[in-house]
Amino acid sequence: MATETTTVAPPRPPKPATRAGRRPALRRDGRYAGIFLTPSVGGLLLFTLFPTAMALAISLFDWPVFGARTFLGLDNYTHLLHDPVFRRVVLNTVLFVVLYVPLNVVVSLGLATWVGPKIKGRQAFRVLFFIPVMTPMVANVMVWRLMFQPGGLIDSGLQSWFGINAPNFLGSSTWAMPAIVAMSVWQGFGYNFLVFSAALDQVPQSQLESAQIDGAGPLQRFRYVTWPMITPAIFFATTMTLITSFQVFAQPFILTQGGPGVSTQTIVMYVYNQGWQFLTMGLASAAGWVLFVIIMAITAIQFVGQRKWVHYDV
Amino acid sequence: MRETPARARRWALKTSLAALSALALTAVAACGGGNGGSSASSGSADKADLTWQFWIGGTADQAAWQKVADQAHTDHSGITVKLQGTDWNNYWSKIGTLLASGKAPCIIGMQSLRLASYANAMLPLDDLMKKYGLKAEDFDKPIMDGLKVDGKQIAIPYDSGPMVIFYNKDLFKAAGIPDPKPGWTMDEFKAAAKKLTAAGKTGLVTSPGDLSVASWVRTQTGAEPLADGKLNLTDPKFEDGFKGYTDFVRTDKIAPQVPAGNSDFETTQFVSGKSAMQLNGPWSLIDTMGKVKFKLGIAPIPAGPDGSKTYTAGSGFGISRSCKTPDAAFQAIQSMTGEKPLTTLAAAGRAYPARTAAHPAWFTAAKIPEAKEVIDYASENSVALVTSKNWVQVADLLGRFGTQALNGEIPPDQALKTIQDQAGAGS
Repeated sequence: MATETTTVAPPRPPKPATRAGRRPALRRDGRYAGIFLTPSVGGLLLFTLFPTAMALAISLFDWPVFGARTFLGLDNYTHLLHDPVFRRVVLNTVLFVVLYVPLNVVVSLGLATWVGPKIKGRQAFRVLFFIPVMTPMVANVMVWRLMFQPGGLIDSGLQSWFGINAPNFLGSSTWAMPAIVAMSVWQGFGYNFLVFSAALDQVPQSQLESAQIDGAGPLQRFRYVTWPMITPAIFFATTMTLITSFQVFAQPFILTQGGPGVSTQTIVMYVYNQGWQFLTMGLASAAGWVLFVIIMAITAIQFVGQRKWVHYDV
Repeated sequence: MRETPARARRWALKTSLAALSALALTAVAACGGGNGGSSASSGSADKADLTWQFWIGGTADQAAWQKVADQAHTDHSGITVKLQGTDWNNYWSKIGTLLASGKAPCIIGMQSLRLASYANAMLPLDDLMKKYGLKAEDFDKPIMDGLKVDGKQIAIPYDSGPMVIFYNKDLFKAAGIPDPKPGWTMDEFKAAAKKLTAAGKTGLVTSPGDLSVASWVRTQTGAEPLADGKLNLTDPKFEDGFKGYTDFVRTDKIAPQVPAGNSDFETTQFVSGKSAMQLNGPWSLIDTMGKVKFKLGIAPIPAGPDGSKTYTAGSGFGISRSCKTPDAAFQAIQSMTGEKPLTTLAAAGRAYPARTAAHPAWFTAAKIPEAKEVIDYASENSVALVTSKNWVQVADLLGRFGTQALNGEIPPDQALKTIQDQAGAGS
């Protein structure tokens, strides 16, 4: 994007010759482009844009899966605004994002820096850290559930070593969310770890060395040489992590079912429950659109903000 | 030149937006008028190819239920029943969509706790029962009642069961507590549970599940979750009973804290021998017996001031309103809930049969000497748990706020009030 404004328009080729010669070619290119694009545009229309528009339409109705539908206008949205449960659900989602995204980035960037080029067996570490990302989420969560529950690994370990009971992690409103965040960070940091590892490998050794010769310490080298060079990777990682963490579902769904109470219920879980458990599609679609708007807004803010801190001109 | 692409883009955007909204509106309209569809069957009273939609857990399940379906063909050579399976979790949304579209298969599996939500799209069977001589007396009364809505029979049951206590006979023996007998009281139960709570083990394990909560409330105070068809959880008697139940965890400490959203916890805790008692249905008895490494016993729920009172739940088969051959479908259901298939299922150690003639086969398979006495006693003292139309939501809320109440995070009456506020009158 940044390059677009700075490029100078190429000198125009002589008019008559090119116009007559290139136009059909362009048209042909366009035709081919159209042919090649049709499957993906068709897929996008059919499986993304149409359901999105359909969801917007459904969100204006009282739409039970089973029974008569009535047009409500914006009632579903006003209901959501005034529903203490939905407000709590939005708060939970934001809380998850606020805890999870920074932790994920710090852990993955920290480990990626640590497993730098000088570490022996770095490939083994990379594989090791990536394993949780590759294993099915459900299996991961089941293991963590066995650790967290009363009488589970943590509880019985604390009891036999120190004679004290661990908190009821998944049954207490105070502990349930931190437990889910901890599990999610362990499960998810491997992906960003790989992204950061690749970015760190791109930082030229010569620049780091010349900074060192100029007297820069390790922290200064990281702050003034490494950091600016990996900002595109960090921007990519935070944007993607933010989007996926707003859509968090599997971890709370399997660990706590959103409980105790609604203390770990997230927006996507709410949508799932309303739609597929209680069969009230209108409310589910409205909640889905609320999430869509939140994610759109935050992603837009990120893209606007990136101009200030992301450096593409390496 | 510079203007054209921008204008074209704008035009393209406008057109696609217009097309999209048109598409969406057409879809809304199409979905709205979906009653013209035909049912997936054809034929007469004695000759029809029927489809049966049911929840299926796996290949073994599929094979067992296929035999039940084949019984219809054995009894009526003109009728065939094709089994279509979906797993339990997806079954209910699928059946909802099918019933709404008017294209539902003729025969539909139905659970008593969920019946209220779907009853409108199902055919009352009373006339057909009379016509083909199916006698209600041949089945357990509580589950026959459980499959009725507004006094009309909506489905014919194949399994049933009153909630009873499963207990660990080895732990009872080690603690020197005599085996509980029908008629044992709440005080005797609490004394036993306190004695059993020691050395990292507990006397009981609880769950915020609908059947558990409702049964424990009913035996303590006699209160029911619905009054005149409306959700009535803030009734003082219900609050009292619910408080008594949460006290097992909160103050009596005879049961461990419960984790959120883990419906297996109760059973895992009992099966692994960490808790000596749990409330469960006879449908899981034979399965549980295969898993435990101790001697398993059963007893009725302890008696409150007005005696032992519990709830029954179960499942059966009904006919969709869109079915074009209800006579053939009913004859098929009559065969499928007949003595022979239910005896075969019972002998294979599956759910407790709803038909009384099939009980002996199940008791033989259960191999627990006191099973007959206990289940007969519990059945006599049980009624069907009548549910509201939005019971799935009520049960979900009960799971959420019930967990908090059991663990002492929020007062029990506040939990009930929140559930009542969220679920409304229950429609």
